[in-house]
Amino acid sequence: MNRTRSDNLLRTARFVAVLLLFAIPVVYLGIQRNYGVLQFAQLALDGLRGGAIYALIAMGFVMVFNVTGIINFAQGAFVMLGGMLTVTFYQMESSLPDRLHLIASAVLAVIITTLIGILIERLTIYPARKSSTLTLIIITVGVYIAMQGLGLLVWGAKAYVFPAFTTLAMTDHVFRWFGLVIKAQSFWIWGSMILVLVLLAYFFERTLLGKAMRACSVNRHGARLVGIGAERMSLLAFGMAAAVGAIGGIVVSPILRPSYDMGLSLGLKGFVAAILGGLVSTPGAVLGGLLLGFLENVAAGVTKAGMKDIYAFILLILTLLFRPQGLLGVGKTAVESSSEDQG
Amino acid sequence: MYRKLNTVFVFVTILAVLLAACGGAPQATTVAPPEQAETTAPEETEPVVLEPTDTQAPEPTEAPTEVATEAVDAQGGETYKIGFAPAITGPGSSLGAPEHATGQLIAEQLNEQGGIVGPDDVRHPVEIVIYDTETNPDVAVSVVRRMIEEDNVQVVVAGTTTGISMAIVPIVTEAEVPYISMASSAAIVMDPDTGETRTWAFKTAQDNFASAQWQAQYLTDLGLTQVCHLSENSGYGADTLAQAENAFGEAGIEIVYSDSFEREGTEFPQVINVQTSGCQAVVVGAIPPASSNISIALRDALPDIPIVHGHGTCNQEHIDLMGEAVAEGMVSPCGKVMVSETLPDDDPQKDVLLQYVADYTEFTGEPVNTFGGHGWDALMLAVNALGSLTGDLSLDEQRAAVRDYLENEVTDWPGISGVYNLSPDDHFSLGFDSLTFVKVEGGKWVFYPPDQWE
Amino acid sequence: MKAPDQNESKQNLIGWIVLAALVGLLGWIGITRPFGLEVADLTAGMVTLDTLIRIGILTILLVGLNLLMGYAGQVSLGHAAFYGVGAYMSAILTTRAGNLLGISGSVVGSWWWPWLVIVVGMVFSGSLAYLIGRPILRLKGHYLAMATLGLGIMFFILFRENLGFQGQHITGAFDGIPGIPRLRIAGFEIWPISRYYIFVWLLAMLVIAFGLNLINSRTGRALRAIHGSEVAARAMGVDVATYKARIFAISAILASLAGSLYAHFQASVSPIPFSFVASLELVVMSAVGGLSSIWGAPFGVAFILIIREILRSRLRQVLQGASGEHEIIFYGLVLILIMIFMPEGITVGVLNRWRSWRSREREDAALTASSGAGGD
Repeated sequence: MNRTRSDNLLRTARFVAVLLLFAIPVVYLGIQRNYGVLQFAQLALDGLRGGAIYALIAMGFVMVFNVTGIINFAQGAFVMLGGMLTVTFYQMESSLPDRLHLIASAVLAVIITTLIGILIERLTIYPARKSSTLTLIIITVGVYIAMQGLGLLVWGAKAYVFPAFTTLAMTDHVFRWFGLVIKAQSFWIWGSMILVLVLLAYFFERTLLGKAMRACSVNRHGARLVGIGAERMSLLAFGMAAAVGAIGGIVVSPILRPSYDMGLSLGLKGFVAAILGGLVSTPGAVLGGLLLGFLENVAAGVTKAGMKDIYAFILLILTLLFRPQGLLGVGKTAVESSSEDQG
Repeated sequence: MYRKLNTVFVFVTILAVLLAACGGAPQATTVAPPEQAETTAPEETEPVVLEPTDTQAPEPTEAPTEVATEAVDAQGGETYKIGFAPAITGPGSSLGAPEHATGQLIAEQLNEQGGIVGPDDVRHPVEIVIYDTETNPDVAVSVVRRMIEEDNVQVVVAGTTTGISMAIVPIVTEAEVPYISMASSAAIVMDPDTGETRTWAFKTAQDNFASAQWQAQYLTDLGLTQVCHLSENSGYGADTLAQAENAFGEAGIEIVYSDSFEREGTEFPQVINVQTSGCQAVVVGAIPPASSNISIALRDALPDIPIVHGHGTCNQEHIDLMGEAVAEGMVSPCGKVMVSETLPDDDPQKDVLLQYVADYTEFTGEPVNTFGGHGWDALMLAVNALGSLTGDLSLDEQRAAVRDYLENEVTDWPGISGVYNLSPDDHFSLGFDSLTFVKVEGGKWVFYPPDQWE
Repeated sequence: MKAPDQNESKQNLIGWIVLAALVGLLGWIGITRPFGLEVADLTAGMVTLDTLIRIGILTILLVGLNLLMGYAGQVSLGHAAFYGVGAYMSAILTTRAGNLLGISGSVVGSWWWPWLVIVVGMVFSGSLAYLIGRPILRLKGHYLAMATLGLGIMFFILFRENLGFQGQHITGAFDGIPGIPRLRIAGFEIWPISRYYIFVWLLAMLVIAFGLNLINSRTGRALRAIHGSEVAARAMGVDVATYKARIFAISAILASLAGSLYAHFQASVSPIPFSFVASLELVVMSAVGGLSSIWGAPFGVAFILIIREILRSRLRQVLQGASGEHEIIFYGLVLILIMIFMPEGITVGVLNRWRSWRSREREDAALTASSGAGGD
């Protein structure tokens, strides 16, 4: 069903109206708590930082979904692996100066996580590639469970410490601009998000491999007809998703003490972000992530902050009910399209 | 088909590698002692016990080990069993793991001395049957039932957290088995609706109320009347808030803003609310790593505001996770175990504490921890009670006798968490005096008694 | 998915009787302990009456889930929520009803009150599910999975928070709600554990029979049509949306019943058994047992719970330290392997293979017979 321009406009307008509906009570509640512009700005800023993490994770989801039609519930595991592996390597003895040691640990962690991602794809997704959506969902759930268990086995149940990137110590440098408090780590997080976004954009637009992946996501059969193997693309997608997830895990580690179960909550929020963005493109994922982080933090700040998680899922339900294609998705909705139609 | 076989092969290989690698790998939380103390491997030269259900040995035995001094006593008595179920994994594992390590430590010590000697001069080996409750009340109930019915324990020591302990209470009450909990809520030993003491339940952890009283005293001393309270969203956190509301109300301190926060949170909008509420100090009810995370967030926004923690943070991890700079100057009430060296010499607990600190650090290679202390108290109370049993009792009578001992014979007993004075009306007895006050200086906890407050 | 024919109906009946006999046997051993034998002895110390009761309770839950996921093809990653609603409802209304609703203590303490609460819980869950179900079940595949996941987590957060109004705390936060009374009928208490075992399994067998009947009914056929192709079903005049919402409601009702039984068994509730992880475990049990088979329910639950016990007691002897959540890895691996090799679940997979083996045997026999008889 083709939607006309005006239909799309209408829908977007509706969505914006909904957002405004949210903004008004928020402002009201905030004022009741003696908020000034400064406080709102701080909430927003902190939210965008969390949102950047979600964005990184969401990009991984979107990549895999686009190419394979699978929502990889194991994405959170890549985040955990990235963080934990970096910690492990960093804690090992090394003759390198600290900064280099950190970089080397991070790079090594990303490489290993990527390899694990590829391994998982070959071992679990590939043999079941012809199975139903339900089966695939359950398989990726199984993968997540297994990876978390593995994390517990290898690293135990405790929370590890990871130094902030800027100071290489536990205490981070804090910028105080115009009354706002910004940790230096936030810039690392935003920076990585932008870097990954730019790199992926370049990859998908300018390189042959990237274009092949895009072709695969647009039309799998057609892609195969011109010689692009869906299996190879699937492998690539998983590997890249693993890498991006690992990066997310690494940059968030100084803030969130890495532990074997850090992937669960982050993974879930990353899902929500991906759905919010529309599951169609990496810019969409970033948008979804930032929006989620922003809304979640602001809502939590003006109401009971302990229930922060609930906002993410309320947002999810609302999105699925009223605009399942998310912000950037057009035309095909979650109701009409079914992933069974893919390939 | 071949592809699938391939997959199986790879899986099996991975599994084999994992098992091999982890078979001897040290766990992050407990260091493998060279000798496992629990005595149920079939080849034991165990003097007397012939349990038909030997196959359920749940203890972490690497390989059947020869137990050092299992001499067949000429008057070999029956083996006493203590059922021990801390939360070794799950959200409560930071409390349960030290409890578990302490249990293993005690088991080893008991083994070395060959058990305990009863009033009839008969030596009885003591076995500590260990299970993991996984911080899950379902598991706890199953496991405790098993301990009572299959393992035939004389006493149950379990319940790292309040939620789990509350689930265990009806089980032990029905089965009439004495139960010592390691969690803090008063409701474990006393029915909150009727005020009656629960006949079969005891506990060893200091109350959050006592902790809140100390906090109130400190705040009053500083002349502060308006505080914020941030608690982690767990049972412990929620209870600290409830108790703070009680204790602070009495002291005339107002909690102008209270909220909970997630342990795994990355942003803390609560901090902004703390700023805008105008409170003069922040009281935090959390355990590491949550306590460290929120402290960092608070310090980033409010470098000077006084921060007072609860007694759940009394371990080195709390300081390490936030770094010395942030931790400097933070205060909290604490069990004395963390500052045992700096206590005055006439403190009745000092010797017991120093011994425990030495044993624990040698056994595990890690710094000592209040939660391990709760485990020590519970297990040692159980051991002492078992030592009072005469030789000719049935299992039911033994259980009743242990209970009676706990209720009546524990007077001025110095444990790790405090000095115990149990009675039929008071099954925990640790109050305000069991805690002391400490401060972080130079990355370590130091004794900070009221006479040093400014 | 094949429609059950006459043969299958007979097989279902036989299966039901066999299961009933097995349950009865185990119960008899567990309760009367003939010759000093215990259920635990039979299973090398792994399974006790406690375990068997939990299997029974979860079976009730899982029959509903299988109907939803297996027959109607709708994924639910948040079913522990309805389990929790039943449990919390029973917990709250049998302990704090007086404070909350001003219901007198004598009513709350009477023997029939908990039963009423169970029914109320079921009705509440069912209605909630129906209301939520209509809009949400329009979604497909992953989106539906996500929506149910979100729902499940939302409920968990509600359970976890110390909610209250007018100064009365309802949900008791992490420590939960203790002191839930045991079920009674007039003076007869359904306790100790032996009685509860009989009670739970009586209900479980009834639920299984209900499920089997549902499959063969009009609703069952409609469900299978929907699972096959919603478009086609709609074209045939099946009101897809209503059926889906109905089955969602039924699965919620059964989950609520299971939750109430759990509450009275455990005598206290706390949020942990109703978390996201718990929902995942339910899916694992369902998948392992066989999504599209009612028999998959008891089998899947038993399989997972028993494996858990095995891991708990045996794993410790292989891997040092606690086995606690290490069993998670094995869950994950088991799940993956089953989904790859036998995605229809163990019960259905084994049955299918057995049937095809049987029919091959029959073919061989027929061949040899016909070639032996004259060869013309």
